[in-house]
Amino acid sequence: MSNGRPTILICDDSLLVRKKLKDCLVECGDYNIVEASNGQASVELFKQHKPDLVFLDIVMPDKSGIEALNEMMATGISAKVIMLSSSGTRSNLKAAMEAGAVDFIQKPWEKSQIEHIMKNIF
Amino acid sequence: MYSQYFGHYLLNKGLIKPEQLADALEYQRSVHLKLGVVAVNAGVMTPDQVESIHNMQKRVDRRFGELAIEQGFINEEQLTALLATQKQGHLMLGQALIDRKYFTLEELHSALESYKKESGISSRQFNVVKSDETQEIEEIFMNFGETILSKTYSDYVTLLVKNIIRFIDDNPVVEINKLNEDYTAQWYAYQEISGVVSLKTGIACSEDAFIKLAAKYAQEDITEADEMAQASVGEFLNLHNGIFLVNMSNNGVELDMKPQDVVQKHTINGSDKIYVISCNMNWGKFDLLIS
Repeated sequence: MSNGRPTILICDDSLLVRKKLKDCLVECGDYNIVEASNGQASVELFKQHKPDLVFLDIVMPDKSGIEALNEMMATGISAKVIMLSSSGTRSNLKAAMEAGAVDFIQKPWEKSQIEHIMKNIF
Repeated sequence: MYSQYFGHYLLNKGLIKPEQLADALEYQRSVHLKLGVVAVNAGVMTPDQVESIHNMQKRVDRRFGELAIEQGFINEEQLTALLATQKQGHLMLGQALIDRKYFTLEELHSALESYKKESGISSRQFNVVKSDETQEIEEIFMNFGETILSKTYSDYVTLLVKNIIRFIDDNPVVEINKLNEDYTAQWYAYQEISGVVSLKTGIACSEDAFIKLAAKYAQEDITEADEMAQASVGEFLNLHNGIFLVNMSNNGVELDMKPQDVVQKHTINGSDKIYVISCNMNWGKFDLLIS
C-alpha cells in the first residue's frame, strides 16, 4: 500500500501494453501504479514497492516473466501475480501456475477481464 | 476468402497491381454483382452475348434474365442456378474490377478461365467448393520447393491474415514470394521463434506505412515513428507470434520466442530460404519476412 492506495506493478516490455493497461486500471479505481519494462527491473521494483498486485508479461528482455515470477515468490512478499502474455502455451501456463501465479490472461485482453479481476481482488 | 486467392492469382500473373486489387477489394463491399458476370463465369453465355443483352437493356426496361431467356441464350433452370450463385467472393471481386475499369468483361473471362484451369478445379466445382485456406497456402509454399516447413509456413500465414483482419484491416491482399534480392526496410520489427522449429520473423515497411500500421493496431493517434509507434508494431508482431505459439502448443509442439525488437534502416540479404509475405491494404503495405 502507498498512502492507503493499493500498489500495482505492471511488467511488460511494450510501452503500448503498459499504457493501455494503465489507462484501464485508472478507470477501475485509485491505485499507485509502478511500471517495469524488463524482467530484471520487474524483480527490483517488486522488492522495492512490495506491490499488492502484479501484471507480469512472459517474453521480456534481461529475464523472462517466469524467471522473474520465481524470484518474486522467493522474496516471501505476499502479492498476487497475474500473467498477462500473448504466449499462453501449455508449458508457460504450467510453469506460471507452478511458480505461484494466480491467473493467466492471454493477450489480447479485454477491458472487462481486467475490471473483473480488479473487482475480485480489491 | 476466394476473392483473396483469385486476387493473389491476378497479382502473381501481373494482371493487376497491388494497389488496384486493394482498391477493388474495398469497392467490392458495395458492389452489385451483375448477372452477366455470373453467366460468363458459369460458361452458359459468352461475353458477346452478355454485351448484346446489356445493349438491349439500354433500350428496354427489362431484366437481364428475361431477355437472355427470350434470346435463347439460357433456359429457366440455368437462370435459377445463376441467381443462386450471385454472391460468390471471386465474382464479387470480378465485378469490382470491371466497375473500377481495371478489367473488361472479356479480360475477366479469360483470367477466370485460366485461374480455374491452373487451380485444377472445374467450373462447376469452382462455384460450389468451400475454400480450405490453409491447404491453398500450403500449396503455394510447396510450389516454391518448400518441403519441410510448408505446413508450418501456411499455418503461420493463415493466422497472419486472420490477425490482420482482426486487428488492422478487414481487406488485406496477401502475396507470397521468395526474397530474391537484398531488401532494405526503413523500419523493421523482428522476433525469433525457437524450439523444434526455428523461425525468424519480421515486419518491414516504409516510414509512412509503419506509422499507419502502428496507429491502426494501437487505435491511438500516432503521427510519427516514435517510441509508441515502435512499441505498437513490435507488439502486433509479438501478439501474432504468441498466438501462433499457442496454436502450435495446442497441436503438441512447444516453442519459445525471444523479445521483439524494432530497428531503423535494416538490410536483409536476399535468400531463397526467406519468404516475403506482402500484405497490401488500401492505405499502404507491409512485408512480413519469414525464414
